[in-house]
Amino acid sequence: MEAALSGLMALADPNLLILIAFATLGGVLVGALPGLNATTGVALLLPFTITMDPIPAIAILTTIYCAATFAGAITAILINTPGTSASATTCLDGYPLAQRGEAGRALGIAAVSSTLGGIISVVCLMLAAPLMAKAAYNFAPPEYFALTLFGMSMLATIGDGSPVKNVIAGAFGVMLATVGIDLLTSIERFTFGYNELSEGIPFVPVMIGVFGISELLVQADRLHIKRKQVIMKSIRLPSKEDYKKVWRTILRSSGIGTFIGILPAEGATVASMIGYNEARRWSKTPEEFGKGSLEGIAGSEAANNSATGGAMVPTLALGIPGSPTAAVILAGLMVHGLRPGPTMFTEQSDFVFAIFWSMLLVNILFFGVGLWGAKLFARVTLIPIQILWPIVFIFSIVGAYALEQSMMDVWIAIGAGIVGFFMRRYSFSVVPLSIGLILGGMLETRLGQSMVMLDEQWWLMFTRPLSLLFFVLTALALFGPLVWGLLFKQRKPIESTGE
Amino acid sequence: MELQKQSNSLSRYLIPIGIIGFCSWAFWLSTQFDRVPPILKRGMQPSDFPQLVLGLIICLTILLFFTDKSRPPAALSRVVQSTMALLIGFVLIAEIDLFLGLGLFAAALSAIWGERRIGALLLVGIAAPVLVFFLFDGIFEVRFPRGVLTTLWYG
Repeated sequence: MEAALSGLMALADPNLLILIAFATLGGVLVGALPGLNATTGVALLLPFTITMDPIPAIAILTTIYCAATFAGAITAILINTPGTSASATTCLDGYPLAQRGEAGRALGIAAVSSTLGGIISVVCLMLAAPLMAKAAYNFAPPEYFALTLFGMSMLATIGDGSPVKNVIAGAFGVMLATVGIDLLTSIERFTFGYNELSEGIPFVPVMIGVFGISELLVQADRLHIKRKQVIMKSIRLPSKEDYKKVWRTILRSSGIGTFIGILPAEGATVASMIGYNEARRWSKTPEEFGKGSLEGIAGSEAANNSATGGAMVPTLALGIPGSPTAAVILAGLMVHGLRPGPTMFTEQSDFVFAIFWSMLLVNILFFGVGLWGAKLFARVTLIPIQILWPIVFIFSIVGAYALEQSMMDVWIAIGAGIVGFFMRRYSFSVVPLSIGLILGGMLETRLGQSMVMLDEQWWLMFTRPLSLLFFVLTALALFGPLVWGLLFKQRKPIESTGE
Repeated sequence: MELQKQSNSLSRYLIPIGIIGFCSWAFWLSTQFDRVPPILKRGMQPSDFPQLVLGLIICLTILLFFTDKSRPPAALSRVVQSTMALLIGFVLIAEIDLFLGLGLFAAALSAIWGERRIGALLLVGIAAPVLVFFLFDGIFEVRFPRGVLTTLWYG
């Protein structure tokens, strides 16, 4: 309670409040701009926060995360282009509604659902994260190793690529994390004599490269896409009838989104898809879905925004990112010398609660900003990418340089950008690579500590109940879909024979 | 049609072979790491973990080779090729001056992507790099590497 109050007091600083307000504007802008999303926005803005104190720095990053996730709905509804992948399902009903001249009503529902979803998830974050941290406080290295492995295994299911490709990308990230001086033995590995690499491959330039510069190359192939905005008369807040129709959907999707967010690596995109599907399944009028259903917009938007709060639970409590954007925020925490995990809740509880309160605040702020500024932000989406992306490139390069003031980081960012582009081209997601890079060091350290603790008898890890549980969950995450697919394939012909 | 087939099989073989080749090379490099005496090794030799991960990648790539049914992407468009060439040009010019490289890259990229308005080209080629330079130099106190243009400011 005391920590919650002192966290709130930290947020009472007027400078910080102004900063959060500007970051909300910036986040909505980032979410609305073509090709930019919450992850890229946070990665690009991370270098700007280096000189700041940890509270404002991380508050800005989480603000951008929440606001950009909401803003994807603006472009989804007005130009049928999701600003972020998490808003892809919002297009399905938002755009048809906008075409019928009800863009304002669609935006109103999206803003209300996002705000309520966000607030519910932050409240869950405030309650669940300290409990999870408390539970993890007594974890020994084998449990931590098994838990981190479970976090990594969840990467297999992200995106629409093949699980094998996702695991290869994640393992490649872990491999990159081994570059530099081995912390356990002080032996240099893969440095090729470069002093700059002795501390390892820095996270931030890699993030900027794989999310920012690779996107520039992707955008080069999308120059032909023309964006056309639907005319919007005025924003309309949902009526009493609208609320009656969607309140159950908002609550259900907020629960789904928060739960999906808490799962390591699964973010807002998966949450919005499940939220949308469940909204359709429970709806009394499922035939309206895809033609402008208010429940469809509410289901998708409440789920994707609630995933933001959920994703911060494992990020702060365990040091395992709950989503791709949370992975970049985790990198930001490390850059500021903070160590996310159970000890953070005892040693830096003021900081943790200040972040919780700032997330709550931004969920209220973007309601106003998004609702009344939607018309303006929708125009921003029409900025030609011929002007936007060269400027994004300048910020990417200068941001990569600024952290360590080293040209090596610039070359790393460009290299990561080109590698990221080719990975995406051949359906390897770049998200596992970045999460692997962040978690790789932790994975190796915990394995080394476990080996010392268990006297080099690694198989003893399977005799510890909690680590065994995480190993089983890891196996389920990796092989479950495969087994399920095989069972499903086998069952189908039996069913058809029966018919 | 025949050419497309050839390109499909090339990409089907090249990607896994490239990954396995890279991992094998990295694995060989890891065998060259110094080893520590048993008393200092603290559970693992420095090469153990990288070798474990590289072995996993190689196994998964072999699995991918037999299971991947995805179609290879279309050939790189001319705009993407030009953008990549510009990136290489940027790397070379940035050695002379980072902001000269940024300005030229931004203006050239904008032009290659179809921008013809002089005002817009000046905005991305001159105004944006200058503003970013002063933002980082003045507010964030970042010192950029000395080059042809930055020396004019730093003296």
